[in-house]
Amino acid sequence: MALAVIGKTADFRPANVIGVWLRHFTAFKRGYLIETTAIVVEPVFILLAVGFGVGQLVGQLADVSYAEFVAPGIVVGNAMWHALFECSWGAYRRMQIHKIYESLLTAPVNMRELAGGEIAWGATRAVMTTVAVLAVAAALGLIGSPMGLGVILVGALTGLMFGSLGLVFASVAPTTHSLTLVFTLVGTPLFFFSGAFFPISSLPSYLQPVAWAMPLTPAVQAARGFATGSVGVQEVLALAYLAGLTLLFYPLATYLLRRRLIA
Amino acid sequence: MDPVVRATQLEKKYGRLTAVDRISFEVRPGETFGLLGPNGAGKTTTMRMMACISPPTSGDLTVLGMDVRRQSRAIRDALGVVAQHDGLDPDLSARDNLIVHARYYGLRGSVAGARADEVLEFFGLTARSRDEVDNLSGGLKRRLSIARAFMHRPRMVILDEPTTGLDPQSRNRVWEQLANLKQEGVTIAMSTHYMEEAASLCDRLVVIDHGRILAEGTPDALVREIAGAQTAMLKVEGPERARVVRALAERGYQAHGRGMLLAVHGRDGDRPQVEGLGVAHVIYRPSTLEDAFLALTGRELRDE
Ligand SMILES: Nc1ncnc2c1ncn2[C@@H]1O[C@H](COP(=O)(O)OP(=O)(O)OP(=O)(O)O)[C@@H](O)[C@H]1O
Ligand SMILES: [Mg+2]
Repeated sequence: MALAVIGKTADFRPANVIGVWLRHFTAFKRGYLIETTAIVVEPVFILLAVGFGVGQLVGQLADVSYAEFVAPGIVVGNAMWHALFECSWGAYRRMQIHKIYESLLTAPVNMRELAGGEIAWGATRAVMTTVAVLAVAAALGLIGSPMGLGVILVGALTGLMFGSLGLVFASVAPTTHSLTLVFTLVGTPLFFFSGAFFPISSLPSYLQPVAWAMPLTPAVQAARGFATGSVGVQEVLALAYLAGLTLLFYPLATYLLRRRLIA
Repeated sequence: MDPVVRATQLEKKYGRLTAVDRISFEVRPGETFGLLGPNGAGKTTTMRMMACISPPTSGDLTVLGMDVRRQSRAIRDALGVVAQHDGLDPDLSARDNLIVHARYYGLRGSVAGARADEVLEFFGLTARSRDEVDNLSGGLKRRLSIARAFMHRPRMVILDEPTTGLDPQSRNRVWEQLANLKQEGVTIAMSTHYMEEAASLCDRLVVIDHGRILAEGTPDALVREIAGAQTAMLKVEGPERARVVRALAERGYQAHGRGMLLAVHGRDGDRPQVEGLGVAHVIYRPSTLEDAFLALTGRELRDE
């Protein structure tokens, strides 16, 4: 009942999602130099350091070089970071520190549209970093197949999923400080244990199911499939898993935001 | 004509705290309606319910003939809202703040740009239109947040303390803009702590405290009814004070004020009868809305 005030109605205005997205895009353009640096430079450093530096030590894997093995995982891992950061810390800052959701909701915008715009923007940043790092990886000869373009699709779905998840965290976080836990307890473990840097089969057997259940794992698998040009049922299922989680987290974030903001 | 806002037994609770306690009032088409009350009285809570950003706990509330619970979106389409806290977007320029917000009302492209320039011009913000919001002074921010609410030419505006923190020039500019809107038939609901503003701008006032309505009426009627036509200012020295206050009480007058000056309000639109009390210095002055307000809500400070 109380939650009905903003947004439980059936009507949904896609134009408002675009409106929220455009707000972010306008802000992004103002600081594009800094933003672009974050989107491109850091992942490229990781790619070079891990791919070639560590790659020297690791040598050749079964049928690809180590650099080729890690590149897709680094690409989608960064997509995750950007979406997660934007929709948790970024959204929290807009909501709790600057109170801009409050004035936004005086306009005829529903919570579902607001959340949709936030997630769409998180996914956009994920796609930006995906495209940039994928291009660098391709230029270095680390993407073996033209199907590697499909990694962009994986990056987009990864962005939508982690954007929705990030927004869930933002909507329940009591303080900015507590949000750092999202990075230490969610971002970092996922980044390192989702098969991006080593095959999951090399983990102790009792940890393998855990690694498979982690939501970044299917993204890494799918990205690697596209990059090497071997896309099968497993990759399609992985994408469906990402989409499915998004369809779970997006309404959850909407619900939690309503609960938090509509007092 | 049907009222633009109709509140019936409107109540808002936050947990055990009752912020608005079953109040009923109306706002009529085209009028400027003022909500007065000390800190924590429930003004913001009431206005947030009218703006459909906070659901009532019980009671009925219709805005522009629509129910706030069921038709919140259609109501928000037609409202302009200025919250007590500016809620400006620090990541955008002043002008982009207007354009981004107006988009949710369907204003876009060159139409939105032209309208933004017009509104910026009116509020004297043109020179600062590209500035970051954080670089604007408090008063300029306030003007910008009011400007934002006018972008889409709303049928009704809700302004929570629109001129708090503004210099006299800006305040006059805001009054001018509100008067223009009123001319165009826009209904205005506002809260304020400035009695002068309420007296000169508002057609009708409601005074609330502790979530309840204490009085309502036109500013003139409120003053006459509560503080009479005139107020007597009595100059009394320390030891005399208690005697005079008692004598006044016997005549049914309450004395207000600290220090040497006692204010005594008239009754029933009249001047107070304070002759024959042995007070040498008596000055009569017209009663003001501030007299009425203080008489209604008392002089105690509010810490909520
Ligand atoms: N979100 C909230 N949660 C809990 N209590 C609240 C909330 N918002 C307001 N209150 C309480 O409700 C009461 C009315 O507050 P409100 O903000 O409506 O007062 P106001 O008349 O606008 O005061 P002011 O002149 O200081 O702006 C206060 O006691 C306040 O502490
Ligand atoms: Mg208030």
